[in-house]
Amino acid sequence: MVAPLYTTDSGLLFHAGKILVVTIGLPARGKTHISRALERYLRWMGVKTQVVSLGDFRRKTMGGAQMLPPDYFSLVGRKSAETIKLRQTVSGGCEKLIWEYFEGGSQVVIYDANNGTKAARQTLAEKFEAKGIHVIMLETICDNKEIIETNVRSVKISSPDYRGWDPDEALKDYYNRIRDHEEHYETVEETTWPFIRIFNVGEKIMVNNIRGYLQSRIVFFLMNIHNRFRTIYFARSGQSLIEHSYKADSDLSPAGWEYAERLKEFVVERRAKSLEQRGLNPKDRRLVIWSSSRRRAHHTAWPFLNDPKPTSSPSGSTLNVKIVEKTQMSEINPGVWDGLTPDQAQKYYPEEWDRFVKDPYSFRAPRAESYHDLSVRLEPILIELEREQEDLLIIGHSSVIRCILAYLIGLPASEIPAIEIARGDLLEVVPTSYGVHSQAFHFWDGPGRSGEGGGEGNGKDPNNFYENYAEDTKGKRRFDGGDEERPATPYE
Amino acid sequence: MAAPEIHVEAPSEALSNDLDRASVALKDVQLDKNSQVAMARNQPPAMFFAGSPMLKKFDESAASSRKGSQAPTPPMSVVGIGNKVGKPDYSDAKIVLAMVGLPARGKSYLSNKLMRYLKWLEYNVKVFNVGQLRRSRAREAALQSGVRQDHTANWFSHANADATRSRDQLAEDSLEMLIQWLKEGGNVGIHDATNSTRARRAKIEARVAKEKDIVVIFLESLCNDPAVIAANVALKVSSGDPDYAGFSREEAERDFLRRIRQYESVYETITEPHLSYLRLTNVGSEVTLCRIHGYLQSRIAFYLMNLHLKPRSIYLSRHGESQYNVAGQIGGDSLLSPRGMLYMRTLPALITDNIGAAPLTVWTSTMQRTIQTASELPYNKLTWKSLDELDAGVCDGMTYEEIEEAYPEDFASRDDDKFNYRYRGGESYRDVVNRLEPVIMELERQENILIIGHQAIVRCLYAYFHDLPQADLPYIKIPLHTVIKLTPKAYGCDEERYTLPIGAVDTHRPKPKAATQPEQPVAKTAREYYGDKS
Repeated sequence: MVAPLYTTDSGLLFHAGKILVVTIGLPARGKTHISRALERYLRWMGVKTQVVSLGDFRRKTMGGAQMLPPDYFSLVGRKSAETIKLRQTVSGGCEKLIWEYFEGGSQVVIYDANNGTKAARQTLAEKFEAKGIHVIMLETICDNKEIIETNVRSVKISSPDYRGWDPDEALKDYYNRIRDHEEHYETVEETTWPFIRIFNVGEKIMVNNIRGYLQSRIVFFLMNIHNRFRTIYFARSGQSLIEHSYKADSDLSPAGWEYAERLKEFVVERRAKSLEQRGLNPKDRRLVIWSSSRRRAHHTAWPFLNDPKPTSSPSGSTLNVKIVEKTQMSEINPGVWDGLTPDQAQKYYPEEWDRFVKDPYSFRAPRAESYHDLSVRLEPILIELEREQEDLLIIGHSSVIRCILAYLIGLPASEIPAIEIARGDLLEVVPTSYGVHSQAFHFWDGPGRSGEGGGEGNGKDPNNFYENYAEDTKGKRRFDGGDEERPATPYE
Repeated sequence: MAAPEIHVEAPSEALSNDLDRASVALKDVQLDKNSQVAMARNQPPAMFFAGSPMLKKFDESAASSRKGSQAPTPPMSVVGIGNKVGKPDYSDAKIVLAMVGLPARGKSYLSNKLMRYLKWLEYNVKVFNVGQLRRSRAREAALQSGVRQDHTANWFSHANADATRSRDQLAEDSLEMLIQWLKEGGNVGIHDATNSTRARRAKIEARVAKEKDIVVIFLESLCNDPAVIAANVALKVSSGDPDYAGFSREEAERDFLRRIRQYESVYETITEPHLSYLRLTNVGSEVTLCRIHGYLQSRIAFYLMNLHLKPRSIYLSRHGESQYNVAGQIGGDSLLSPRGMLYMRTLPALITDNIGAAPLTVWTSTMQRTIQTASELPYNKLTWKSLDELDAGVCDGMTYEEIEEAYPEDFASRDDDKFNYRYRGGESYRDVVNRLEPVIMELERQENILIIGHQAIVRCLYAYFHDLPQADLPYIKIPLHTVIKLTPKAYGCDEERYTLPIGAVDTHRPKPKAATQPEQPVAKTAREYYGDKS
């Protein structure tokens, strides 16, 4: 998460006060997806944000659905006294938790729950409004059966509620749960509170009475998210003729060109496999490639266009790709340290180097950019990344990939400079409701794979001495590839 | 899908010779550094830099290893100190933005503001103002027939069937012109008219639906603040509107209010649930968005959400004269010259005299010369990395004479198209505009701001506020030791310049050999009634 442009004594930003975002919507309408995405983005902006999920709270305090009385989710008929008490305990517990977060310094709390009745919303909102908290209603409406079905299948029946259940039984049970809610659901008609209504996860959005910068930022973000299945790939640009100079902006070395060809082959192959697993035809899905305007990155994307079998397609390629150059995606500017090895930087700028080592995220060498500067520069890219519906391949520089990955995964700022991004690895990131699913594939070994080591045979190029200090991955933590799902919630 | 065949050409002999030479050149660079180190132990080794022979040596040595140049349409391979970079392709974006609102509700204000913002980002935007079309047609008719049409409130009455037909016709003609223009390469056409009834909006919707790839969004401006309406009315009747030629101010005002009432009697706010629209209530206080999707649409919405109408001023100044300015060097991170320090000490009194007790925030870049210039200002200060000077890459630290001497062709090529020219390892003016976009967004939502910036930075910001074309932007005169005060007004910005009597070098380089020097802006705060000035 990125530190903000500035900080304040109160810890609150943008003169926005404290905000409670109340989500409203039937189960399986993407509330959690939206809540988590918003939390990630606001945290990245430096706003202290916390999601309070009623479902997680209930599971934590009471266990999965099988532990609940049969009338817990039913809204028809009278509930037993115990069930009513149980439900009150859960909602009361959540409210208490929300208070604790606000008191602990959170500026925005997102209450992820159904909040499907007008009366309950009103009571909740009045309670918080009375204490000076701005309340925003965030309703998610979804009438697209496909989206709901996908959501139920991919998220709900694999949730802890149904651990150990037969999938079909779980599905049936879950649909029963939704049906009851559907009958009693009251959409937001009241205009007492500012509200945002999102249809089919971003297909349409309605906003009313939104005030101030932070709130409009939230709306802008929500206008740009979607939950269409897509994959984001990351790969480094190929080795260039002068690796250690930012200013040279040099062309790819022969090893770099070879890398670029291999990257294309591997991405095509890997993508075909992963789309096939999902039952999708790669021909129907376009691959969008973002490169920076640095020549090594732009050239690395070239084999995707320079396909040997030209067809009538406008790109002149048989691959369905589109390449976009993003000027904001240049690597971190090393300033006066351009061209220096870490040893040289340390020798000639000992004080600065000390400070850099102590806080590699925020330290800005003379004329250089810090990782924080870079993160701020990348903000418009993150919005576009959220907005992109197609599969995306980001061919970039390790510093840029580090920042974007940290945003997607939700890593703290201090860890950003240490993420290892080796040349020859393809990172595959799939956004899911609860976070992201990431894997790393190793596809290439050759000169310039990483800045480590020396001599022949271990990837070090004898003619191309070392990498730019900010780009190299020496002694830094390796990116955790592997099959890993990272839950962002504190209760899972 | 079968993996496509790969052609990796075996490196030719020439190529491998080249690479050998490249590695020798690189080693030389290293050796140069080491020998420098031997001479001055505390001097860091030289960077890759156009001021020494290393760049040329490198380019020559690696000539044929730039394989890109062998591809059918190669990514540009660059030698020397930079290259021209073309504008990104925006041809996908085709939007009709139809305004909705009563007269005097700030529609034209919003249209112009939005146009300036999008044009600055290099979208092709044009406002099609129905009022202008009406006036110019009436003027033409009057010239031919000698009879002046009556465009008083009677003409705007919905009871007047003839006039209603004419008004419908005007709106339709204007929309046709707009669509034609979009087809010819426009991106956003703003239909600036009242479009105040459902029937009218339905017509627009139906017309645009016939065009593949063009979408329509409505932008409704509601205003129920009597002070704002009164100010808009006063502006309308006092600013020489030809509709009221020969009227006294009172008569004009009476008639205009009557015109507004004619519209009010039939006005229908947007409630059509299927329309894509944005509604601003009292600009800056409330926004409704409905069915706004698409990248550019969401940018437009976010921009409009950040606007406000509070009176304020934006002060722009370059840093005081720096040591590099004196030496004629570009870039660098030098401190101020003695005259620059004098500016630094004089600036607080100038600003404080001008602004009085009003609050002000100072923004500087992260470079020493702006921070130093701001150091004695008694206001809250923020530093922005995005305000740093255009990065001259390999030419950083050189003088223009040195660059011209070493790279005469590159130098001429930059002069030829300065906006698009990206220094090797550095930036173009377009790159700077891109990185300033968040700064503009922040500026829109702030109140009084003083920016202590750099020449290229102030040029870009100034061009935004005055709607100056990209080609002229790199030649805007922003002298040192001068504070430019911009006060946003209804149709542009008022400008005042305060030049302190402290000498400074002139860092402005006029466009060489140009037949016409780019136009220096005059403050455009007057409304255009016929729309034929630009």
